[in-house]
Amino acid sequence: MLVLDIFIHLILLILFPPFLIGFINKVKAWTAGKQGPSLFQVYYDIEKLLKKGAVYSSTATWIFKAGPILTSASLVCAGLILPMMRNHSTFGFTGDLIFFVYLFALGHFFLLISALDVGSSFEGMGASRGAAFGTFAELALFSALAIFCIPAGSPTFKSVFTALPWKTWGFAHPAYLAGALVLLAVLLTENSRLPIDDPNTHLELTMIHEVMVLDHGGPDFAFILYSSSLKLLLQADLLIHFLLPFPSHLTEEGVLLLLSGILGIGILIGILESVTARLRLQRIPQFLIGAFILTVLGLMISFYRGAP
Amino acid sequence: MNHSSLLIWIFLLFPAAAAVGCLILRKASWIFRFIMVGAAVDAGLGFILIQSLFQKGALRAAGSWLRVDTLSAYYILIMILVFLMASIYAARYFNEEIQKGSLSDKTAARFGSLWFGTLSVMTLVLLSNNLGLMWVGIEATTLATTFLISLHPSPLSLEAAWKYVLICSVGIALAFLGTLFVGAADSSSLIWTKLASHASILNPQLMKMAFIFLLIGYGTKVGLAPLHTWLPDAHSQAPAPVSAVFSGFMVNEAMYCIMRYLPIVNGAVGNSHFSRDLLLFFGIFSMAVAAVFILFQHDIKRLLAYSTVEHLGITAIGLGLGGLGVFAALFHTLNHSICKTTGFLSAGKLGQKYGTHDLRKMPGTLQKEQVWGLGLFLSLIILVGSAPFAVFMSELLIIKAAVDHHHFLLLTFFLTALGIVFIGVLSHAVSAVWGEPPGDHVLPEPNHLGDMLLVGAPLLLLLILGIWMPHPLRELLEKSTFILTGKQ
Amino acid sequence: MIPYVNFILTAAIALNLYIVSSSRLRSCVQAAALQGSVLAFLPILLWGTQASKLEIINLLLIGIGTLGVKALLIPFLMFRSIQEANVRREVEPFISLHLSLSAAAVLVIISFWISKVTGLPHPPSAYLVPAAFSGILIGFLIMVSRQKAITQVIGYLIFENGIFIFGQILFQKIPLAVELGVLLDLLVGILVMGIAIYHISREFDHIDVSRLDGLKG
Repeated sequence: MLVLDIFIHLILLILFPPFLIGFINKVKAWTAGKQGPSLFQVYYDIEKLLKKGAVYSSTATWIFKAGPILTSASLVCAGLILPMMRNHSTFGFTGDLIFFVYLFALGHFFLLISALDVGSSFEGMGASRGAAFGTFAELALFSALAIFCIPAGSPTFKSVFTALPWKTWGFAHPAYLAGALVLLAVLLTENSRLPIDDPNTHLELTMIHEVMVLDHGGPDFAFILYSSSLKLLLQADLLIHFLLPFPSHLTEEGVLLLLSGILGIGILIGILESVTARLRLQRIPQFLIGAFILTVLGLMISFYRGAP
Repeated sequence: MNHSSLLIWIFLLFPAAAAVGCLILRKASWIFRFIMVGAAVDAGLGFILIQSLFQKGALRAAGSWLRVDTLSAYYILIMILVFLMASIYAARYFNEEIQKGSLSDKTAARFGSLWFGTLSVMTLVLLSNNLGLMWVGIEATTLATTFLISLHPSPLSLEAAWKYVLICSVGIALAFLGTLFVGAADSSSLIWTKLASHASILNPQLMKMAFIFLLIGYGTKVGLAPLHTWLPDAHSQAPAPVSAVFSGFMVNEAMYCIMRYLPIVNGAVGNSHFSRDLLLFFGIFSMAVAAVFILFQHDIKRLLAYSTVEHLGITAIGLGLGGLGVFAALFHTLNHSICKTTGFLSAGKLGQKYGTHDLRKMPGTLQKEQVWGLGLFLSLIILVGSAPFAVFMSELLIIKAAVDHHHFLLLTFFLTALGIVFIGVLSHAVSAVWGEPPGDHVLPEPNHLGDMLLVGAPLLLLLILGIWMPHPLRELLEKSTFILTGKQ
Repeated sequence: MIPYVNFILTAAIALNLYIVSSSRLRSCVQAAALQGSVLAFLPILLWGTQASKLEIINLLLIGIGTLGVKALLIPFLMFRSIQEANVRREVEPFISLHLSLSAAAVLVIISFWISKVTGLPHPPSAYLVPAAFSGILIGFLIMVSRQKAITQVIGYLIFENGIFIFGQILFQKIPLAVELGVLLDLLVGILVMGIAIYHISREFDHIDVSRLDGLKG
């Protein structure tokens, strides 16, 4: 049973992410009334990129080459401790929630320094934007997670998910609702989705993610593509664990919940991207500060509930 | 429905009916005649009400929602006096504008209906025994008077009206919060008589919070510093009869609302130090602020407005001293109202003649406009507390109360502020009164008998009250003091 | 019913924050209207289960009155005065939106603290007092930090909504007539302010409060 669980966990973690991106693109195409690229397009892209060679700038060092791989590696590690079909992961331990968030940040960090390493001012600008918005998002992410951790009493996935009051989740616990909303906002920010960043545009001065990875080519860019899809999967997975009651053992129900939850998030993002426009760059900090302040409200309520 | 409750209803509803009447009358001159007659009838009704209070004791109507006791009767007396004076004057004042053609029939109708509307909601405040209803009345007063300030929409009058409605609305909303706290402290509804009778079992902590909100809230409407900022602006921009009603009655009425809470709060807290200290602080602070501003004030209506802030401060100090101080504060309210009304009426007429309210630009008022010039000068003299007028007597009583309670520090501030005001007011007034009138061959206007009566009667009344207090008035004052302090 | 009440109150606080952070006048008015309409359900949800028949009618009347005044009439009046005053530029704060949003967050924290300190006897929902005070404080913040006369009115509205929430603690003690009187006063107050704004915009050709500085001393 345990082996099976680990096996499915690994399969989903390693092989599933590009499908999610393809799915979102398909949803967007459907909403626009188009046929759209194949659901497996991202797999083909990665395969194509892996076959290509890479060109390196003369100023780039080994950091530039290591960046994409290290990013992917730290995200895979993060994915190992994140629960998937169950309400906890086999590799989980006390305090794993904090460790998860830091592995995430580590991935982001490697992406940033590889962008800086290439020595292009354009990529430097992208890195600075990524760092700035990443900081705001991190603040919001941590305080949103704190809303869930305070009632559970421990920053551990297992205790947080078992402590959530599933029967009265929505209305009775407005703080959790605020937390979930902020997690969604952070998901959109960190994965450079609308309304923060438009994944469809290229070479625009307002972009964030695309600017950072312009000089990556071939296998390096394949890893970038893979790691960004992995990041989206992990955050979607994190969010649905706060929204849906996962069983504590490996069951078909758990797998079904996971798949439907993640695809649900995919549909949500797809529709959101079809109907919203990107925020002006100056307004993004305000969006994230707003998210953070919403978590302040949630935190106040969490604290207040604890009081007699 | 028995006789007394019928009387209360008529007294409450008559001004409302008159407000509608003003909308029906279409001619400006008719409207101002109607205002005069209406105010006289209202005054008559008020006297009958006070008369029957003397005979039967407290009157009730509408269950226990409407009630007239001695304190409200005393304020009804002030209200009808001020409104009567201002209404008679309004006809004289606006007549000039009608002749110049600057007052349309439509504006006159608006003025008339707002005028009586204001009177009606002010009556509601005095009659209501339910503290929530009292609040509704005060808020309605604010709203009804806003467009009286900007009767002639000009940039400055609109600015004053905007400040007035926004600051006072916020203040009064805070008073509502205070009222809610009173409700939270009590298990019954917001009936004043019930609250006053079992004040000692109310939650003291909540009553303290309630009183702070109430004092700040209603205090905004009173114009206690530092919440007075709307007051000089509104008074200076409003037409003179409206300024007279503002200073003569409206601010006092807000003070009346604070007074109503005093016995309840004192009963709940167990002693009166809490409320008294707050009142003393706001009172002395208002006096100080007013004194400083009066010293450098050349606009006569703003000067009178700051003098209102000062006198309401004096009233607050009287209330804060308790006992004899409360008696003096109530007496002072009447004196100040009559005197300030006369002052504003005179200032308004002079302003019309000179086309300005700047004291430096209106020299020789005594020669050019004998009646109104003398009226303004005498009312300023009385307002700064000259013997033997009534304002002097009530201020003397407050000083006596302060000495009795050994509040010597307070007394020092009090007398210093009075001294500064004395110097400030007189230095402005004397130059205006005895200066050379502009132009060489100005003939003094012929004196109008009505004008002489309108100025002479109140000043004579103040002189008489300063020397001798009639028995019914003394009884009203003593019983009202008893209501507020529980002591004779 | 209390879970729904908690949800409504949290939504009210969140809407306060939204209004502080929003830079568009129209969305501010819409949010204020939404807040009013959400709050209209508060009395019946709070007290409906334990009320007698007569009281239920009272509650419904208050709810309908609140809905009519705060969600329909007042937003209508405000949209009309926005149109009549011909406001072209949007919200112009004295202090930046980031800063006022942060200040609003601090005010929310303070209002939670206040509710712990005051210790009102048995409020039906623990969030009533914090929601009320955050409305009052944030309303104040908007009134002092914005230049447009119309945003000051929005601030006043939020402030009033805060007091309305506080009033719900005392439903059984405030007679219906008084509640309706309060609503009427609010409506007339906004109407009066709307007319004043109209006059101001006609006289001055703007409604910037910061430029209403003719009266001094």
